[in-house]
Amino acid sequence: MKSKKLSEIRLSMPSLLWLIIFFMIPTIIVVIISFRNSNPSGGIAPGWSLHGFSDIMSLSFAAILWRTIKLSFLTTIVCIFVAMPVAIFMARAEEKIQNLLLLLIVIPFWTNFLIRVYAWKIILHPEGLLKKILYTVGLIGEHGSLLYNEGAVLLVLVYTYLPFAILPLYTSIEKFDFRLIEAARDLGSGPFRSFMKIFLPGISQGIISAVMVVFIPALGSYVIPDMVGGPGGEMLGNKIAQRVFTDRNLPKGSALSTLLILAVILPGLIRLFIKKSNLKDVLFKRKTPGVQ
Amino acid sequence: MYRKFTVLMAAISAAVILFGCSSGKKELYIYNWSDYINEDLVKRFEEENNCKIILDYFDSNETMYAKLQAGATGYDIVFPSGYMVNMMAQQGLLLKLDQSKIPNLKNLDEKYIPFSMDENQEYSVPYMISNTGIGYLASKAGDDFDPSWNIFADPRYKGRMTMLNDMREAIGAALKYLGYSMNTIKSDELEAAKKILIGWKRNLAKFEADQYKNGLVSEEFYFSQGYSGDVYQVMEENEDINYAIPKEGTTLSSDNMVILKGSKNTDLAYAFINFLLDGKVAAENIEYVYYLAPNKEAYQYLSDEIKNEPAILMPDEILNKCEVLKDLGENNELYSKIWDEVKAAK
Repeated sequence: MKSKKLSEIRLSMPSLLWLIIFFMIPTIIVVIISFRNSNPSGGIAPGWSLHGFSDIMSLSFAAILWRTIKLSFLTTIVCIFVAMPVAIFMARAEEKIQNLLLLLIVIPFWTNFLIRVYAWKIILHPEGLLKKILYTVGLIGEHGSLLYNEGAVLLVLVYTYLPFAILPLYTSIEKFDFRLIEAARDLGSGPFRSFMKIFLPGISQGIISAVMVVFIPALGSYVIPDMVGGPGGEMLGNKIAQRVFTDRNLPKGSALSTLLILAVILPGLIRLFIKKSNLKDVLFKRKTPGVQ
Repeated sequence: MYRKFTVLMAAISAAVILFGCSSGKKELYIYNWSDYINEDLVKRFEEENNCKIILDYFDSNETMYAKLQAGATGYDIVFPSGYMVNMMAQQGLLLKLDQSKIPNLKNLDEKYIPFSMDENQEYSVPYMISNTGIGYLASKAGDDFDPSWNIFADPRYKGRMTMLNDMREAIGAALKYLGYSMNTIKSDELEAAKKILIGWKRNLAKFEADQYKNGLVSEEFYFSQGYSGDVYQVMEENEDINYAIPKEGTTLSSDNMVILKGSKNTDLAYAFINFLLDGKVAAENIEYVYYLAPNKEAYQYLSDEIKNEPAILMPDEILNKCEVLKDLGENNELYSKIWDEVKAAK
């Protein structure tokens, strides 16, 4: 028993060390800097203060925070809604088609992320084909642009994070026993009700994972709003970049980063909590059919 | 196999070391922005002085500064912008210039000296003057286009214009439009500029400091606030692109030549700076980089094309309205606050 534990520790050591050195320690440094004073040349001045957090009370910050949360939330919702039918189709398809579809989902990752965002800039270009078609149809003005608005940011966010939503949904749906739905239907439950009451709870772990892997990175988006967002499309990540690079105010940048870290860790903690309580549910449910 | 490779590498590095030293020429290490010097001139200097010049490039003042701060040695001459000269001098990185070794300093054009942060050339010599203006598509602007910052208020071009994603430049344009100084710290002037800028923002595609030049080339943007060098650079790719200085005035900035304290070949460094200040040499350099070397002896050698380019050799009445952006230190926060409010405004 003891040696098993020791080998477990030894096995997890590399990843643990990696996390401590490249995640924990830098995060702690960021949190510490957020409570320091700044000096005008971009460094850290001696002494401690809450000045770094002074932004948080301002109205302009509230607007950016609201936009960040709104866009991340919408991205998550759209991703789940689009990913769900795809994942169901994949899980129920023949193995050959399944593998092909998986490959198709992964292939875009072979191309650099930035290049894919640039591709969107070309597709939505104000002198591009799509715009010309919409103009001919009369849906958009001559000088109008499909780029540089919140819609474009949402579109590219969804495009970017969709595979991350499909994959966990697919794995949990693949494990789901579809005979349960047949059983529910046999017992008189309608299609909508069996979907809501049997299917969704059955794949809840997959849904929670999908929400996490979309919502958390979307909160920290920086490149996408920077490239396809308009003058009013800033998200929290862009504000942090501005604080560090142009305002040369490390404590303020760190204070915003600290908030973002909190915002990211909080859902993670909630997920942990849900997982624990859900585990009980799952165990409980498994027992009941056995008893019956 | 692996050992063979090691031996080969050792042989190659030995050869490099041997031949590297065998030339015995004096070496001058220069750290500059890319595409910022006419390399024919570099070759000429090498031949005239029987030396070897090694060019290395940086893409931002901050990168260069970080590298030097981290202890990079061996460079002789560096080309920082004005504010960076001050910072480097304060950090004790720069050699105090012995002006007797640069006789061509007399060629400097006094008109442009106030735009340098080091007006007495204590540590630096102005190299090139660049400015911020408006890059635009002539076909969209029409013949009666009167260059003014207020073009960004024109609803006809809504969604097809950009301003720089740089608070000092963007707020500065609004301040200039109102006739105020770009370095003001008066809150009522900044408030007024904020209102103007928010109005302009509603017509912008975005605030963009880098990609706007590609946007002009692909006709994505019709009007972009931009740096002269950037816009001139992309003109070759699309003949429709023009560049104008707004009549209300704009930002000028100078890049400067400095000698680092650790320089091993100071005499050669002085000679090189003096060489670039020669009228004919400076003219050749202007023709190549499309920036203005503030050198009054050079103007007579310029081609008509450059002489007639108001964005390079500015007419006096506009030049008098131009300013250099000063580092405001603590007061930078006034601008950050306005900038946050502009960005967040609906």
